[in-house]
Amino acid sequence: MATTHEAGLAALLRLCRADEIGEAQSRGFDPDDEGQDSLFVVRWQGQLHGWRNACPHIDGAPMAWRRDAYLNAEGTRIVCHAHGAEFVPDTGLCVQGPCRGERLSRLELVVIDGELFVTS
Amino acid sequence: MKIVGLESLVFGVDDVAGASRFLVDYGLAPVGVSDRGGRFEAMDGTAVVIARQDDPALPRPPVPGCRLRKTVMGVADEATLGAIVAELRRDREVRRLADGSIESIDDSGFVIGFQLTARKPFVLAGEISNAPGGVVFRPINSLGVPPPGSVIRPRSLSHVVYFVPDVVKAEAFYVNRLGFRCTDRFTGTGPFLQPGGSLDHHTHFLIGAPPQMHGVEHFTFHFGGPSEMISNGYRFVEKGYQAFWGPGRHILGSNWFWYFNSPFGCHIEMDADMDQHDASWQPREATASADNSQAFLLKMRKKWYPGPGIHENGDYA
Repeated sequence: MATTHEAGLAALLRLCRADEIGEAQSRGFDPDDEGQDSLFVVRWQGQLHGWRNACPHIDGAPMAWRRDAYLNAEGTRIVCHAHGAEFVPDTGLCVQGPCRGERLSRLELVVIDGELFVTS
Repeated sequence: MKIVGLESLVFGVDDVAGASRFLVDYGLAPVGVSDRGGRFEAMDGTAVVIARQDDPALPRPPVPGCRLRKTVMGVADEATLGAIVAELRRDREVRRLADGSIESIDDSGFVIGFQLTARKPFVLAGEISNAPGGVVFRPINSLGVPPPGSVIRPRSLSHVVYFVPDVVKAEAFYVNRLGFRCTDRFTGTGPFLQPGGSLDHHTHFLIGAPPQMHGVEHFTFHFGGPSEMISNGYRFVEKGYQAFWGPGRHILGSNWFWYFNSPFGCHIEMDADMDQHDASWQPREATASADNSQAFLLKMRKKWYPGPGIHENGDYA
């Protein structure tokens, strides 16, 4: 379902238009059509950050409580809604909860002509 | 002590509207809900209660970050309430609240309350299986699978699972001070606990865990049977909620399970058909592992027969 571009050696998978994700918002994606979102993107202080949808606490645990709902109500923390672990949106560092001190796995994002891609 | 089980769980949340929608979609009935929170009841009136996390009326959580603020248990009679007061006042404060209930704290820092149970008795047959040679059958022409659009509601608040830093101490409090029994145990993990006024396999399960995990693993309501519970789970997934583990059936307790992420900083389960035990039951002990906790795990296959858009041999990937 995802379209691909060749940029150097890395293939790019298109996610959405970059401006579809507003400040302090999050959105999940399933670019490989696995039936469950494998990554999510948050916009924090203007910048987009891509993270694997896998809490470091339990290997591979999905983090949203509802589709696209990866943040707390204020939009200031990424939250794993399995056991409440909280992460800094731009560094992925867990600052509260079971995996304190561990980090989310970052995915590299590229914006080309307003379109958001993840490198695969 | 005739503690009959959980009466309500009180959570402080950062998004009352989102949490309210979540609980209604789960199947609970909103009662007196506003933008400040409210009650969400099962068929017998047991409930989840939510309030804004900064509501000064909420008790303090056991640790920062834990959204569960209070676990309220129901008791059968005033004698039990009096016995709990007398027992707990030996070494801790017990407060009488304006509604007649009492409030104290357990040995793991969880605020606990006790009240005369307000559970509303009801009679409604659970799921019945038709089996050759059986004694009880579904009424002729009634259907085993809940039809689309049928109302499915949780029946009763079932159990809560705590992560505790000292599981030996935590168990001793419920067993020695409040008369709970261990029905089964995961070696090195913790006990399933049944209070004196219930036959359910467990209303509490305690898991020994590192301090940073101190809090709640999950809570759950009983549904009318596996077909109803699993149908409700699929509806929940279709509404966009995130499944974590299930549907399947546990070994200890035999309850059907399906776990989901929640806005309460813990998982929420749907469960059905839990074993019941009396004092003659001898506790089992098992090593905690996925293999020892699931009898089986079901997986939906959406496209299993050949048809338009599907490989001629079906989709068995």
